Amino acid sequence: MDNAYLPDLVKIAGMREETADTKTLALRFLDPGRWEAFQYRPGQFVEVSVFGVGEAPFCLASLRDGADNFEITVRSAGAVTGAMHELSVGATLGVRGPLGNGFPFAEVSGRDILFVGGGIGLPPLRPLIWQMLTDRGRFNKITVLYGARTPADLVYKDELRRWQARQDMALLVTVDVPDRDWKENVGVVGSLFSKVEINAANTVAFVCGPPIMIRFVVQDLLKAGLAEDAIITTLERHMRCGVGKCNHCLIGDKYVCQDGPVFTYRQMKAMMDPG
Amino acid sequence: MNSTRAYTIPSHLLSTWVARLLGRAQVIAPQAARGSDVCYDVVDTPQAVAWDYRSSLSPLKRFLFPQSDRMLRWHCDGDGNVRLEPTYDETERVFLAVRPCDVSGILFLDKVFEQEPADIYYLTRRQRSTLVALACTEPGENCFCVCAHAGPFLEAGYDLQLSPQTGQHLVEVGTEKGARLVRESADLFAPATDQSLQARQEIARQAEARFGEARAYFAAVMRRVTFDRVPDEVWGQMADRCLGCGGCAFVCPTCYCFIVADYRGANGGERGRLWDSCLYETYALEASGHNPRALCKHRLKARFFHKLSYQFAQRAGSHGCVGCGRCITTCPGANDMPVATLSIRRGEQ
Repeated sequence: MDNAYLPDLVKIAGMREETADTKTLALRFLDPGRWEAFQYRPGQFVEVSVFGVGEAPFCLASLRDGADNFEITVRSAGAVTGAMHELSVGATLGVRGPLGNGFPFAEVSGRDILFVGGGIGLPPLRPLIWQMLTDRGRFNKITVLYGARTPADLVYKDELRRWQARQDMALLVTVDVPDRDWKENVGVVGSLFSKVEINAANTVAFVCGPPIMIRFVVQDLLKAGLAEDAIITTLERHMRCGVGKCNHCLIGDKYVCQDGPVFTYRQMKAMMDPG
Repeated sequence: MNSTRAYTIPSHLLSTWVARLLGRAQVIAPQAARGSDVCYDVVDTPQAVAWDYRSSLSPLKRFLFPQSDRMLRWHCDGDGNVRLEPTYDETERVFLAVRPCDVSGILFLDKVFEQEPADIYYLTRRQRSTLVALACTEPGENCFCVCAHAGPFLEAGYDLQLSPQTGQHLVEVGTEKGARLVRESADLFAPATDQSLQARQEIARQAEARFGEARAYFAAVMRRVTFDRVPDEVWGQMADRCLGCGGCAFVCPTCYCFIVADYRGANGGERGRLWDSCLYETYALEASGHNPRALCKHRLKARFFHKLSYQFAQRAGSHGCVGCGRCITTCPGANDMPVATLSIRRGEQ
C-alpha cells in the first residue's frame, strides 16, 4: 500500500519575483526517477510542504515540456506561503502529487479558446496556454483576457509581452487602478469582453480568478451565449489532504481535490453547497 | 472445529479467555470510568472488563484513528538535507465486548479509508485488529440503533459476536480472524447446541422489542436531504442553537474530518493529523480570507448532507449514523440526530 500522505523531496531550483507579494518557485525532485513518474496535465495541483510549517495546495503553473523542474506561483497570504517567500534557492521542500483532474485538452480541439484570468488566477491557466500554443494547429482562435488590480500586480510580465507580440493569439490586459505609464484598458476583466469578438457557438472559456470575478465573468459569458458546459473553471478550496479524506474541500458531495479542481459551470451549478 | 460457526463459553471463563488474549495482543474493552461512566480503554487485568454495561462514553475510533496521530518524522542535517521517516502503528489489537453500534461505526470508517487512495495509517492499525462484538439486550438511555440497522445484534461485520445467555455467552464466528481466537483457546469453547442457537434468536427478538419504536426515520430524511428539499429556515433554527463546539463530531463513530499539522523540533520535527469538526467557523477558511462556509446554518447543512445524503451513503455503504445516541448526550443545543431528522421531516421546528 502506498502512503498517499508521504511527500517526495524537492529542492528550490529557481525563484523569481512576480509582484510585491508573489513569487514563482521552480522545484526539482531530488530523485530523478520521481520526476520521470511525475506526469501531469495543466489544471492539476500539488500539495507542497514547508517542513515545520505545514502543507498547502498549489496549481502546477508550468508546462512539463522538456524541463527538469516544475513551477508554482505563490502569493504570500498564509503561514505556508509566507514561509516559502522567506526561503532561497537550494532549500528542501516536500511535494505530493500531481493531484486532481486537470483541464480538458484534446476534447476542445478545433474550438475557439478564450482564457479569462484575474490576478493570481493566471498561473493555473499558464501551462494550458503554452500547451495550446505548442500544439497551435489544433485550435481555432486563442484569446487571453487578463486583469489585475494594478499594473504592478500583473504576473509573468515577460510572458505577457511575448504573448502580446504573437500573431497567432490575442492578449488583452486590464487593471482596476492604472499607473502613469499604463496604456491598456482600465476596468474589471469583464470590461474586455466588448473588445473581442466571441463566436459563442464555437467558444470554450477557461476562467480562473477570485470567486467574485468568476461569478461576474460567468454571467458575462452566459449572456454572450456560451453553453454552460463550455465554461470551465478551477475551484479553490482549502484542500488539506488532497486525496479525498479530510473533507475540507467538499462542495456538496464533490471533493474539489479529487473530482476537481476543474469543473464546468454546468457541474458547478449542480453542486449543492450553501454559501 | 473450522466448520462450526457458533460456540458457547461459560461466562465464568471469560476472564480466563481475556487473560490469554492479553498475552497475544493489546486488549481494548469497556471499563468503569469516572462516576457511572463506562469507556473503551486499554485493559490491564481481565477483571477490568465491564461485561454488563449499556454504552461507552466515547466510540472506538480513537484507537484506529487517534485524535492526534503522528504520520511522519523528518530529520535535518547541518547541510539542509532532509530525511523523511513515516511512522506506522503496527500494534496487534483485540477490541473486546464492543457494542454493535460501535462495530458498525468502524465498518463505516473502513469504507471511507479503504477508498483509493487508501489511508495507510488507518488500515495498518485496522488490519491488525480483531473486533469482538457484544450484542445488546438492554438499550441505553439514548440508543436508537434500530433505526440505523446497526444493532442491537449484528448480522455481519464482526469477527466474533458474543451474546449473553443464562450462565454462558454464545460466540458467533464472523471471520477467520475471529475463528482463530476461538481455536487458540479451544479448551474454553464448546460448539453451540441447537438450543443455544434457538435461544439467540429469541433473545435478539426481545432485545429488538426493548429498543422500542424508531426515533429517527432515515429513509424519508435522506430523500429530502439528497434532493435539497429542506427549507433554509430549518438549518437557520438549528444554527440558533449550535454553539459550534464540535462535540457532536468528536463523539460520533462515523465522523472523520481532520487537519494536518507540523511540529518543529531542534533538528527535525513531526507531522501529524488532528480531528477537526465541520462545524468550526474556520473549517473551510482559505488563506485569502474567503470562507465558503461562513454561516453556521451552512455548516450544519453541509454536516447533515454528508451524514444523510444518498451520494455519501453510496460511497460508505450506509448513512453516517449508527444510532449510538452520543450526540444526544453531548450536544448542549439539542441538534442531535433524532432532533435533526425530526426537524428535517417536519420542515419546521
